[in-house]
Amino acid sequence: MTLGQLTPTSVEQAAAASAAAEAVPADPRRQRIPPGPAFGIVFLAVLVLLAVLADVLPFVREATDKVVVDDTTMTRYRLGPGTTALFGTDALGTDVFAKCLYGARTTLLVGVGATAIGLAFGGALGLLAGYLRGLVDRAVGILVDGMLAMPGIVLAIVMIVKLDVIKEDFGFLGWLTRRWQITITLGILATAPLARIVRAQTMSLREREFVLAARSIGATTRRVLGREILPNLAPTMITVSCTGLGILIAAEAALAFLGLSVEVPTPTWGKLIDQNRNNLDVGWWATIFPCVLLFLTVLSFNLVGDWLAKRFDIKRAAI
Amino acid sequence: MRSYVLQRLAQFLIVFLAVTFGVMVLLRLGLDAPGDPARSMLGGFASQDLIDATNARYHLTSNYFVQYFHWLKGLLVDQDLGYSASNSMAVSTMIGRRIVTTLLLGFYAIGSGLLLAVPLAVAQAYRRDRWFDKSSSFVTFIFVSVPSIVIAVFLKWLFVDTFSLFPRIADKVYPWQDPWEHAVNFALPTLTLALPAAAVFSRLLRGELVLTLQSDFIGLARAKGMSPRRILWRHALRNSAFTCLTSVGVQLGVVLGGAIIAETFFDLDGMGLLLITAVLTNDLFTVQSITALLVITVVVANLAIDLLYSAIDPRVRLASALQ
Repeated sequence: MTLGQLTPTSVEQAAAASAAAEAVPADPRRQRIPPGPAFGIVFLAVLVLLAVLADVLPFVREATDKVVVDDTTMTRYRLGPGTTALFGTDALGTDVFAKCLYGARTTLLVGVGATAIGLAFGGALGLLAGYLRGLVDRAVGILVDGMLAMPGIVLAIVMIVKLDVIKEDFGFLGWLTRRWQITITLGILATAPLARIVRAQTMSLREREFVLAARSIGATTRRVLGREILPNLAPTMITVSCTGLGILIAAEAALAFLGLSVEVPTPTWGKLIDQNRNNLDVGWWATIFPCVLLFLTVLSFNLVGDWLAKRFDIKRAAI
Repeated sequence: MRSYVLQRLAQFLIVFLAVTFGVMVLLRLGLDAPGDPARSMLGGFASQDLIDATNARYHLTSNYFVQYFHWLKGLLVDQDLGYSASNSMAVSTMIGRRIVTTLLLGFYAIGSGLLLAVPLAVAQAYRRDRWFDKSSSFVTFIFVSVPSIVIAVFLKWLFVDTFSLFPRIADKVYPWQDPWEHAVNFALPTLTLALPAAAVFSRLLRGELVLTLQSDFIGLARAKGMSPRRILWRHALRNSAFTCLTSVGVQLGVVLGGAIIAETFFDLDGMGLLLITAVLTNDLFTVQSITALLVITVVVANLAIDLLYSAIDPRVRLASALQ
């Protein structure tokens, strides 16, 4: 599953569908939140809360603290899941639950940052291509097609390693830690599909009467884009970035699994899975719990994204 | 029809050239000093003579366009993709062995994905909104959300660690050597990639089928007494295949990307595994060639699907002619 699945055909259908759906009488805002998205919202809220408060909460150990029971450190997966350590201990004897929470922090921050970058670049490109058409549209089209032609993870691997090299060459790039490298790389990956969706939406919006009205009273292109079209794109952008966040978090885990993760002491879910996967028979908990968290997080983002799409009446590819 | 094919071919060429050139420039970033690409290729202890020879052979001191031209010529005319110093081997020999593994994996994954998805979607659409449709739609939604590493971990936990049905380390065996061994080695990686793909296919196909089944010509077929089975499989399925078939091209890219993870996880000696080591050792030509081959595979598959579909369904040609 990648962002590439948001295909152009479906988006163009989406534009047509959202134009046609204006006649729907029932106000979806009055409806109650169905159980699926409700679960997603609650799960994400709890996860964010735990991740933010991990330092303060009394029952969460430090990520590097060893679990000690009766003067023995619980190394080599000696302690299974239970009341002492909720998710058991790993090879080093540290608490998997604590590591998962600190990992959630990194994972969520990287995902949100990457989505923001993708929205900024993809939004700008899509907006310009969809509104100005012509040569700009052609150029953006080639860029987007090219980026989507390559498996995202391949591009990500090459870029992250390359950013390592570039960082060494230029002194002023000292702030570019691995965390930033991953965020930027994933943000660039998210750019192409977002640009495509925003372009399709902009193309349908620019033909609408309120845009014509604004133009006929002499509004500049900048004003039309900023005041008329951009606000109408917001629902689409929110919805798509919700699903996109799930995909980017999965991608971050995949990169961590391949050994391209944040600096050593900081845990992430992908790193936990990678470190413990060869000891599934000794201590399944150290691998399975991060996996379950990762899955539930992606599922929650998908559930919420799907619900938002229905609510805002945006039809996306059924991903 | 001809102008449609030409238009698609032109688009294919532009994308291919843009991507491979972009990758080449990206790979050479940070290696600006003369001789740098050769040095990073050959390792720190290469003699000056060897560096000069490599530079001359692959035109590494020329500008990007000249380098690109020579690389492209090597790819298309001479089948010489360069030399991998870290493996002391020609890149083409190294890739030649592994490309079969990755392409087979991709083929199996897409194939079994479709084999799972089509009957499922037909069954769902046939009895829409009944318990089977609802419960299986729930399952496919979940599988759309599962990251491939999570599937890989669970498959390994279940089938390798708990039930010991599959060997721990899969030695790569080609199908013509030992078909059974081959099937055993490829089963888990294929399943890892096929399950999410199947979920995507079946969701797209089900949605499309439900819409098609409401159209007038289905009502007519029913009215003239055609059997429901024939209506579903011959009339409805054919007219609903477009979105799903188009997504096969997109999914192929996803599957080939996911193959990197599946190969790493199940120790399958394919291009993905090679790519990771090549990127980490700064093996320029290997990375450049693998990415180019992956892009060619994805773009050609998309092109083939487009052309195939426009040959079958005149509506696609008309739509593109009108644009």
